[in-house]
Formats: sequence, structure tokens, C-alpha cells
Amino acid sequence: MTDSLLGAAAVTVAAPLAAAAVVAAGLGGGRPRRAAVAALTLSLVSSLALSLLWSRTDGMPLAAGDRLGGGALLLIDGITAVLLPYAAVVELAILLVAPRRSLDPAAVARLLVGTAATFALFLSSHPVVMIVLWVATALVTWISVRDTPGGRAAARTFAIAMATAVVCMAVGTVLLVVDPPWATAAGWVGATGGWLVALAVMIRKGIFPFHSWYPALFAGAPMSTALSATMPQVAAYTAVRLLIGHVDHPEGVAAELVVLAELALVTAAYGAALAIVQRDLRSLIGTLAMSQSALVLAGLAGTLPMELAGALCVWVSSGLSLTGIGLVTWALESRAGSIGLDTPQGRFWDAPALAGFFLLFGLAGIGLPGTLSFVADDLIVSGTLDDHIYAGLLVIASTVLGGIATMRGWFHVFGGPLAADGPRHAILLRERVAFTGLLATLFVLGLWPDPLVRALDRAAGRLLGVAAAPSVAEPHAGPSATEPAVDLQVLPDGR
Amino acid sequence: MTAHDVVALLVTCQLAAPAATLVLVGVPTLLGRAPAEAFTRRVVGGGFTAGFAAGLCMLAVLAGRGLRPEVVHLGSWFSVGHHEATLDLVADALSVPYVCFSTGLCALVNAFAGKYLHREPGFTRFFLLLALFGTGMNLMVLAGSIDVLFAGWEMLGISSTLLIGFFLERGNAVRAALRAFTTYRICDIGLLAAAVVVHRAVGSGDFERLFGGDWPHGNCLVPTGTAVVVSLLLVFAAMGKSAMVPVSGWLPLAMEGPTPSSAIFYGALSIHAGAYVLLRCESLLEQAWPARLALIVLGLGTALHANVVGRVQTDLKSMLAYASMTQSGLIFAEIGCGWRVIPLVHVISHAILRSLQILRSPSALHDRHELEAALGGHPGPDPWSIGKLLPERVQAAFYRIALDRGFEEMAVGRVVVAPFLWLLEWAAGMERRWLALLGGDDGPGGGRS
Repeated sequence: MTDSLLGAAAVTVAAPLAAAAVVAAGLGGGRPRRAAVAALTLSLVSSLALSLLWSRTDGMPLAAGDRLGGGALLLIDGITAVLLPYAAVVELAILLVAPRRSLDPAAVARLLVGTAATFALFLSSHPVVMIVLWVATALVTWISVRDTPGGRAAARTFAIAMATAVVCMAVGTVLLVVDPPWATAAGWVGATGGWLVALAVMIRKGIFPFHSWYPALFAGAPMSTALSATMPQVAAYTAVRLLIGHVDHPEGVAAELVVLAELALVTAAYGAALAIVQRDLRSLIGTLAMSQSALVLAGLAGTLPMELAGALCVWVSSGLSLTGIGLVTWALESRAGSIGLDTPQGRFWDAPALAGFFLLFGLAGIGLPGTLSFVADDLIVSGTLDDHIYAGLLVIASTVLGGIATMRGWFHVFGGPLAADGPRHAILLRERVAFTGLLATLFVLGLWPDPLVRALDRAAGRLLGVAAAPSVAEPHAGPSATEPAVDLQVLPDGR
Repeated sequence: MTAHDVVALLVTCQLAAPAATLVLVGVPTLLGRAPAEAFTRRVVGGGFTAGFAAGLCMLAVLAGRGLRPEVVHLGSWFSVGHHEATLDLVADALSVPYVCFSTGLCALVNAFAGKYLHREPGFTRFFLLLALFGTGMNLMVLAGSIDVLFAGWEMLGISSTLLIGFFLERGNAVRAALRAFTTYRICDIGLLAAAVVVHRAVGSGDFERLFGGDWPHGNCLVPTGTAVVVSLLLVFAAMGKSAMVPVSGWLPLAMEGPTPSSAIFYGALSIHAGAYVLLRCESLLEQAWPARLALIVLGLGTALHANVVGRVQTDLKSMLAYASMTQSGLIFAEIGCGWRVIPLVHVISHAILRSLQILRSPSALHDRHELEAALGGHPGPDPWSIGKLLPERVQAAFYRIALDRGFEEMAVGRVVVAPFLWLLEWAAGMERRWLALLGGDDGPGGGRS
């Protein structure tokens, strides 16, 4: 079983890397999309096989390789088993929908390298590996934005944010390793390290007041780049691995993560509110993505498995629906140019099929019963309200405002009289396949959510439960309020 | 096969029939193979007819058993820790007559719309939304837990919004749809929060744990404090769908949708969804006098407002919308008074009358014009009304108030909406300035690929 899991993990990461090499070497026969789609299909199949294999185990994480500060070079657990197929679906959909003119070999190679780095990140909890992969994913995004006509401003904003985040992450990790917070004589150095890592997560996650790069990226970058950079949510993954389940905190959550969660709640509500007054569709998607991303982090700070499971569920559901909305927008833009929201644009009449898909993705994102987001909203609202009333109210506010912004977006893009009497834009087969696949995933998981929810609940329970055990067996020596809270010990689950 | 098995089968048919039509018409449409008009109309109509027939059979079975309620457990949807979303449905003296009435009405409107919307560009879209509405309505009416009820409630809101904005080319329709959706969404907070409170109080959303006994003589099983909180939240939720003052402004605008959908949503079923939820939870209201008081105040206030404003409307559909609002307000007041069967009878009789009036409205106008043309003017004096007993100055004041729709929209707009939007615009402006500073003078936004 272990060999099979390792094999599936290796194939998942290696396939896009190999395809990137093939495309970069010009061996794709001038059709880089085919090689990339084949590679990502292989990654998707192998990641699904990994999930299937994982579901047959007893749930104990599989950790291997070098360990540093509590992280393992290779880690496969319940979180990995959900996030790998999710990321593969998102990246495959992006490649299928991408307009031909944006898929030159260099862009495809960058996309594939970034995808491989994301897959690899989801398979590790080693701090050094995380830093390296943060840099890799940020770098390919930055190059892509910089090379986009008119994208220099967004590239600069992104570079400022990512450089700061990577520096904070690197310095913070070094400080934590030098002065481990779990040691009896831990001092301010380790504490500073913990907060620097938290700051890095905050910046990379686009949490208020470091959120500006998020909508800027959507406004200035190719949609493929923006979606690839944001939908996997690598910073949330880092928070899961480094901040959740800390032994200092009586309820199993690091103090840094609690502060992050408070800011994330504000960001979720603020982003959703801001989305209501956006003047163009890309900015709307950017602010909605920022809000949903913050909602995930807010839930991750929960002390109840239900909150964590809800956050992970929001991670998947909002990621799939926002990817769908983003890709429909991209398909629409490639046919009819950029889309403003100040007045109804009347696009329904020239692209009815895209209008239908946009609507369904939008509804799947705002909690249409029968879709995964209905389940996710139910879990995260119930969980946060169980935990703290004010947190629950902010979560409700963000879902309500996000829904209003989404429907405003749909009505303003597709409503209104037809501006120019032109031909109807047909939808391409590859686009239809991608959209239908994403929708089918959202509906199947929404109508039959129990297996996914149970898997997420088990993973969340293990993250919180494992943390509680050492705090009882080995009570921390120092006062937790003043000490660093990031736990980098080797824990039984491999963190 | 026991009576319970028969009821379980019929309840499942009730839900499955319209849901299956949604799949049968929706999936081919999504795949770019929209079915023909006749097929769409027959399939959706067949679903409603099957649901209606199942409802009648269920009514017969229940009547044979003295209308004792039957709870059907279809299983657990999902569960995490103590939080379990169950698929529980209930067939009792409230839900079964109501579901017969609603599916029957949907079937009739389906038949009407088949002719009315013939060759309309959005024909398939209309019937898909009607099927979504029917599925949501059945889910809400038959719900045996607050989770299932919330799912049905959401489907109602979404289908209603999309039908108000059915004529997408009209700017007014788009604005009206957004207005309605915003109101629904804000008031849905009440139902969502009520669901969470119920889960916290009894560990699940099952109505069985909230109240026992046969409707309308149920008994509350939760402490008074919980009953008061849940009831007040339900009243807030019901205000949105039932267009109570001060959130009633969307209803007259909602008449921008096609006439068949206006009839079934704002004359019959959707407008009474709030009343249905309150009737379902009557045992909780029994324990919650603040909620009952709120219902009486809201109901009578809305009835008075709608009655006055409705008198000066210059188009028939707006007049009918305000007439619906008046009756909806009275029904709220009746529920607040602690009555059960009277509001149920009021809901059903009003819904049938009003939907007929709305369906008839396009041809009624035509007939009226023909009559006036034939008579060469207005046919007879204006009818007498109680308002004519008032002094002329008071009448003029009322007229002014009614023309401005009771200043409701102006007050909500100035006090709530405008400051909120101003704040958001200010924040968005600050964001743009900050981005321009970070990214250079032009700011990000130029890159498209």
C-alpha cells in the first residue's frame, strides 16, 4: 500500500514536470496544449488513485524523508488526499479552456512547472521545501504577469507582496529552528519566528491589510495565471501544516492562527462587500476570490473539527466554482473583449451557453442546494457560530454579500439589450467538457457529500486531536501567551 | 406494504417528479441540445401532474388514518460530529393539502405558460426555472427538518430572482431581480441563523425534536428562550419572501417577470412561503409572544400600507401586487393572533383567486379597452370607497403618501442603502489609489490575454 501511495504521488508530480520539459524543448509538435492536457489528465488519475488508496488505510499519515522542525519531506494524509485531485481538476480545466493565443510553449511550460510545484507542496510539510516551493510558484506567476502586455503594474504589486512573504517565511523558519518554541528555554527569537511565519501566511493569503495584490492579480494577469496562483491556496496549506494543532494552545490552535483568523473574518466580509461595487468583472472575481480565500483561513482557526471540515469544504467548493466563473469570463473575454459592470452589458444574446455556465457556477458558489457550496456554507456557518457568535455572524455576512455580488455580476454581464447585432458565439467542445466536468464535480459532491465530508472531518479531527494529546502528556513549561506558538515538533502524524 | 411505506413512496414521488423533469430538460440544454417546446412543456407538466396525483393519493391515505402525521426518514445527507443534516420529510394535515394545492397550481400554470410563452426565446429557461421552483416548493412544504426546509427556501429565492429577470434585455427587469434577490438574501440570514440555533439547541434540525403532537395542536419541546429566538428569526426570514414593510419594495417591481410566473410566485405560492414556515413552526410561536406581537404589528402595518398605496397604482399588475401584499399582511396578523386553520384557508383561497387575476390581467386589460371603445368612454362612475368619507385635505395627504409608496423606498434607500454603498464606494476608491501607488501611476488592470 505504501509503495502504491508513493508511486501515485510521484506520478502526480512528475507528469507535469515531464510535460513541461517536452513543451519547453519544442517537442510538442507545435501543439503544447495536447501534451499538457495529457500530463495533467495523468496527474488527475494518479491523484484520484492516491485518494482511493488513502481511503482504504487506517488514516495514519504517511511521512517519509528528511525531517526538520516537525515537517516531513514527504507527507500523505487526509488533507493531501483531498487537495491533490482538487488542484489537478482546477489546473486541467484551466488548460482546457485557455484560448489558443495565450498558450505559447513558454506559457504552457510555466503553467506546468507551477502546477508541479503546487502538487509537490501538497505532498510535503518540510519548512525548507515549503519555502522553496513558495518561491517557485510565486516566480512562475510573476514571470507570467510581467510578460503580459500591460501587466507590469500588477507584476510589481505581486512582486512586492511575494518578496515580503517569502522573506518573512524564510527568516521566520530559521528563527524557529534556531530557537524552537517547544524548548524549555525558548525566548523571543522563536516567538518572533512564529509571528513572521504568520505574517508570511497573511501576505500570501491576501489577508487585510495585505490583500491588495489579490484583486490586482486578477485585473492584470492572464486568467490562467491568476487562477493557478490563487485557487490552490498554498498559504492555507502552510497554515494547516505549521500553525494548526499547536501544543501551546489549550484548544489546539496556535495563537498566531487565532489572530490570523480574526483578520481573515474581517477580510472575508470586507472582500464580499467590496465585490458589490466593483466596476469590471475581473475585479469582481478577484475580490470574491479574496473573500473566499479568507473564509477558508478563518475556518481553519476553528477549535472544532466541524469548523475545520467546513473550511476545507469551502476550500474545494469555492475553488471549483470560482475557477468556473473565471474560466467562463476568460472565454467570454476572448470573444468579446473586457467586460465592465457599471451598466448591463447584454452578453446573454451573443453567448447564451456561457451565460448558462456562468450562472450555474455562480449559483454553485453562493450555496444553491444540491451543490457542494451549500454543504460547505452549512458546515462553516454552524461551526463558527458554535465557536463564537461574532465569527459566525461575519461568516454569514460574507456569504450573503458574496451572493449579492455574484448575482449582480451575472445580471450586469448578461442582462441588458444587445449592444451590437453580431453573430452568436458558440462554445467550443473543450470548453464545454471543462465546464461540465467542474459542474458535475460540484453537483455530485453536493448531492452525495457524505464521503467527502467524512474524509475532511477525519482529517480535521486528526489535526486537532493529535495536538491535544501532547499537551496533556507533556505540558508546556512556559507561559503560552508570550511564547512562540508555531509547532515544528515531529508529531505522530508527521507534522 | 404498510401505510408508512405507501406514504414514504408517495412523498418520494412528490419530490422526485419535478426534480426529474429538471434533469430531463436541464441536462440536454446544458449540453447544447435544448429539447423542443412541446417536449419541455409535456415533461415539466407531467412532473407536476404526477406530483399532484401522488399528493391526492397521500391525502386519501392520511385521511383514512385520521390525518395522523407520518415522518419519512430518507436518510442522512451528511454528518460531522454532532451536526447531522437529515433528509426528513413529513406528511401531515398541513403539508399534504398544501403540497396538493401547490403542485396542482404549478401544473395549471405550466399548461397556461405553454401557450403564453410559445416561441418566446427563453421558453426552455422558463420551464426549467418553473421545475426548480416546483422542486423547491415541494421540498420546503414536505420538510421534516429545518435543513431540508432551508434548501427548499433557497431554491424558491433563486428561481424567483431569475424569473423576475427573465426578460434580460429590459433594464427594469434586471434591476427588479437584483432588488428582490438582495432582499431575499438579507432576510435569509434569519432562517440560516434559526437553523444554527435549532442545531445547537437540540443537536439536529429535525422538527420532531422541536415540537411534538399533530398539527395544528403541536406542543413545543424546547425552552421558551430558544422558542422566542427561533421564532423571531423565522419572522425576519418570512418578512423578505412575504414582502412585509419595510422590505416590501421589491414586490411591485417583481411584476417585470412573465405573467405566469408572477401569478404563481407573487400571487400564490412564493409570497406565502413565509406564512407556511410560520404555520409549520406554530408550536414555537405559541411560546413566543414577542414574535406573535411582531407578526401582528408587521402584518397590520403592511396591510394598511399596501391597501393605501395599491389604490393609486396606474397599472394592473402593480395593483394586484399590492393587493397580494395586503392579504399577506392580514395572514401574518392572523398567525400572530394564534389562529392556525383560518390563515391556512386564507392562504389557499387568496392564492387561487390572485393567481387567476394575474393570469387574466393581460386579457382583462384588452377586454376593458374594448369595452371603453364600445361605450365611448369610462363605463360608469368610480366605485364608492371608505376613503371618500375622509375630509378632502386628508384624502389629498393620503394620495400624496400613496403616490410615494408610503415613503418606504425613500426611507430605506436614504437610511440604509445609500450610506452603505457610499462607504463601499469610498473603500473601493481608496483601494484603487493604493494599488496605483503600489503598481505605478496607471495601476494594475491593463493585462489581458
